[in-house]
Amino acid sequence: MDNSKIAHHISENFNKELEDIRNKVLTMGGLVEQQIEQSIHALTSGDIELAELVIRQDNDIDEFEMIIDAECTQIIALRQPAAFDLRLLLVVLRIINELERIGDLAERIAKVAIQLSTTNEGRTDEYHELKHMAGLVKEMLHASLDNFARMSIDGITSITGSDAAVDREYASIIRQLITQMMEDPRNITRMLDMLWTVRALERIGDHSRYICEHLIYMVKGEDVRHLSQEELEKIMSK
Amino acid sequence: MITSWFKSGSPWIWLNAAAVSTCLIMVVGILGLIMARGVGHFWASPIVELSYQEDDGQVKTIIGEHVDTTVTPAAMAKATGFKLSDSEDVLVQYLIKTGNRDLTGTDFRWIQERHIKTQSSPLDMMVIERREWGNFYGTLTAIKENGQVIATGEQAWSVLEERLKNALALHDKIAHLEKKEIGAINYALEKLRLKQKSLELNNAWNEQKAKEFADKKATYDADYKNHQAELAELYQEIRRDSLVASTESGAELAIPLAKIVDVYQPNKMGFFSKITHYLAKLGEFLSEDPREANTEGGIFPAIFGTIMMVIMMSIIVTPFGVIAAVYLREYAKQGFVTRLIRIAVNNLAGVPSIVYGVFGLGFFVYILGGNIDALFFPESAPAPVFGTPGLLWASITLALLTLPVVIVSTEEGLARVPRAIREGSLALGATKIETLWRTVLPMASPAMMTGLILAVARAAGEVAPLMLVGVVKLAPTLPLDGNYPFLHLDRKFMHLGFHIYDVGFQSPNVEAARPLVYATSLLLVLVIIGLNLAAIIIRNHLREKYRALEG
Amino acid sequence: MATHDTRSHSLDVSAILRGQSKYDEPIEPCIKVENLNLFYGEKQALHGINMEMPKKKVTAFIGPSGCGKSTLLRCINRMNDLVDNVTIEGKILLHDDNIYDKSVNVAALRRRIGMVFQKPNPFPKSIFENVTYGLRIQGINDKRILEETVETSLRGAALWDEVKDRLNDNALGLSGGQQQRLVIARAIAIAPEVLLLDEPASALDPISTLKIEELINELKEKYTIVIVTHNMQQAARVSDYTAFMYMGDLIEIGATTQIFTKPAKKQTEDYITGRYG
Repeated sequence: MDNSKIAHHISENFNKELEDIRNKVLTMGGLVEQQIEQSIHALTSGDIELAELVIRQDNDIDEFEMIIDAECTQIIALRQPAAFDLRLLLVVLRIINELERIGDLAERIAKVAIQLSTTNEGRTDEYHELKHMAGLVKEMLHASLDNFARMSIDGITSITGSDAAVDREYASIIRQLITQMMEDPRNITRMLDMLWTVRALERIGDHSRYICEHLIYMVKGEDVRHLSQEELEKIMSK
Repeated sequence: MITSWFKSGSPWIWLNAAAVSTCLIMVVGILGLIMARGVGHFWASPIVELSYQEDDGQVKTIIGEHVDTTVTPAAMAKATGFKLSDSEDVLVQYLIKTGNRDLTGTDFRWIQERHIKTQSSPLDMMVIERREWGNFYGTLTAIKENGQVIATGEQAWSVLEERLKNALALHDKIAHLEKKEIGAINYALEKLRLKQKSLELNNAWNEQKAKEFADKKATYDADYKNHQAELAELYQEIRRDSLVASTESGAELAIPLAKIVDVYQPNKMGFFSKITHYLAKLGEFLSEDPREANTEGGIFPAIFGTIMMVIMMSIIVTPFGVIAAVYLREYAKQGFVTRLIRIAVNNLAGVPSIVYGVFGLGFFVYILGGNIDALFFPESAPAPVFGTPGLLWASITLALLTLPVVIVSTEEGLARVPRAIREGSLALGATKIETLWRTVLPMASPAMMTGLILAVARAAGEVAPLMLVGVVKLAPTLPLDGNYPFLHLDRKFMHLGFHIYDVGFQSPNVEAARPLVYATSLLLVLVIIGLNLAAIIIRNHLREKYRALEG
Repeated sequence: MATHDTRSHSLDVSAILRGQSKYDEPIEPCIKVENLNLFYGEKQALHGINMEMPKKKVTAFIGPSGCGKSTLLRCINRMNDLVDNVTIEGKILLHDDNIYDKSVNVAALRRRIGMVFQKPNPFPKSIFENVTYGLRIQGINDKRILEETVETSLRGAALWDEVKDRLNDNALGLSGGQQQRLVIARAIAIAPEVLLLDEPASALDPISTLKIEELINELKEKYTIVIVTHNMQQAARVSDYTAFMYMGDLIEIGATTQIFTKPAKKQTEDYITGRYG
């Protein structure tokens, strides 16, 4: 792992504290990724126990958020960080917020999985596209967390770019769901649950994109929120 | 055990304590000795009457004050020629002040205790302090007026006291006339003469001036004649009375009251009257002129001269030293030359003081003074005005002597003024000289005072150079008096230090003068302490005012 | 306000969002440093400094010890003239006049550019005399003028209420923070255009420090202020512009928020985040 961005403080303790926060964020991120994976798996395989595990584990994520939040507050109060250190801590605060939201979304998927398992008669074929979309957003989240771990924004535009692919996937799944609803009104309840899931995945993609935007602020000091992909690429190429 | 004791450091503490106590004991010892010897001098000691068997077997009466006792071991006494019997272990000798120098030729004599037959202290024994010949010891026989006996026996004493009072008042009057009135006339006449001479030298002397001067001279002469007549009258009056006293040998002696300073009967005095007498004597000592080659009377002119000289010296040395120090510290470019000057100044402090005296005499008195005389006082020639030792030259010489102290301590004080203070002043738009004058110098003033204190302490105690440049055994006039211009810098003056030397070693009667030496020393110490104390009080006041910034 | 009629008080959002930025005002330079080199004997302490200090703003110099920030500050009122062996090349312009011109009267210059030092350095005189020192130097002895100036200056330095009853007491009896404010009052009593503050709070306790900082904030309404400080947070709190110096070079100068959130130079970043570069 590249430590050059947060190491070299004269205060060795400060280095350790920042390193510790980064590791906690990455652990939290790993946990969130795992939650997404497990919730999708529970949905597609109808595994109620796994879904219940996901719901329980969301508490851990909430706790992580609170702990990291407290540590950041403490560092800001005691060390009055400036420049990169300051941006790092602000961005950490935002990232854990995004992660916590993602965790909530995973929890919601798990809840849907429990609901679906009672009405579902073992039909797993229709989850193909859902799995594909889940793979896409998981990849986005993983890549952005990886960039955070490296404290770098190289190739970050490709991550934010894949948000568009997620959106396209989302639109196509929605169309399918609507078609199915119109074919057989008995499907409507199930299809609505499915809609929730897809919607959650789309939100996860958005949150991953926000994480990338925060990373850009952390590294470059530029606020790139609320910009289009083109504008973002223009700034990044500067 | 011992090692740990050494390691604990207590030996050093003890050593330091020992050194400090030694110093203290020495200081206290010096002060104690001169105090004991000097202060006792004015106490009225009892007069003893002894019948004493002289070496030739005759028995005589001796009257006097007991002054000193020595105890010599028999062996040593025998070796010096005393004949002692074997039963005697020691030889005890008394020093008796017998006075009556006009009759016996000595004031003191040593006697051996073993030859004293009887000893008593008769109440009617009296001491007469005379203006000449020292003390007289004896008994009062009679009082005479114009050679006629007017009182004898019991009566005589009260008559004497009354008449003496009168005589002393007359004496004061005469002294005032001679010194003040006639002195002023003489001074004015001398001025007139010098003015005339100076006019003559400038070719400005003419008829009109001559008349004017003659008129003035005539008034002065008239005044003088009046005073002379008055004086003659007074002399007549004071010579009227005399007393007759008998000595130990029974001889009778007539002493005019005009020659008497004081008469008292110590054996009759109680403790309180002795104290009164003591204080009166002390007052006399402090306020009167010396008599009899300085061995009797007061030392007022010496006290006055010492203080005057020290004040003059301070007035000269302070601005000089301060200006020099300010230049060295504030203006001169620090480097080799300033280092050299500092070394020179410091070494100047180590030059023996007599060298300063020689320099003062050679340079100030002869060269400077000679030139001043030639330029400004040609009318006085050949008598020198400033071309002879005097107060001015003595003060300048001592100022030179103490200059290094003032320079060094002023520099020290300037160096201690924080840089921040100077910068603060400069940053407010003050120039360097304004900063110096308004801020730096006031803050350095305690250090200047310290320098001055050290200078005063040194100057007041210095004698050797003064002997060359202005101090005399006996100065007829004070350097400060009522005649214009009041302060006479050209006059010679008396000095306590030199007075001690003179009384102690140059007087004809060393034994008699010894207590006086102690008393004068004590006074010198007190004068120096007083001057220092004044300066220290001023310094502490300044220090409080300009307390430098902490740290 | 009891009215709830929101329509008549519609918020001007764009004014709130954009009108506040203090950096949008046009910058009017008060002091310009042009190509300034300074040598202590053979050793060069400042290397070709070029910078501007805006009028009625606070400019802070930060940097490690010995970086030349105090030296640069002392160049501005020619305090370095007092140090032996100093040679200065280049120009410092105060409103387009070179203060190192031969014709400049240094004492008059220092009246225009006041200075406050690291340690409070009141004169060992009364509070009154301290404040009037600069005026008396200029020969102003009119009691009425002096009294007025003392009051306005002490009020300006936020000290009046604390000392108004003891103006004749010795200034050394004040606390450190009061002394430093007295020194500031003394400096503003002669109405300078520029105030140079050389680590004015480094010898003070935190509360006194805050008072001084608050005071600086008020003083910039009237004066152009240049402050040297070791304390980066202090620079961040009080200054509008910050200059970072390192080894006699001016590394970076910019708006304080920019310097403290995203400095352009790595050396600046390393210094303000507390790293060894």
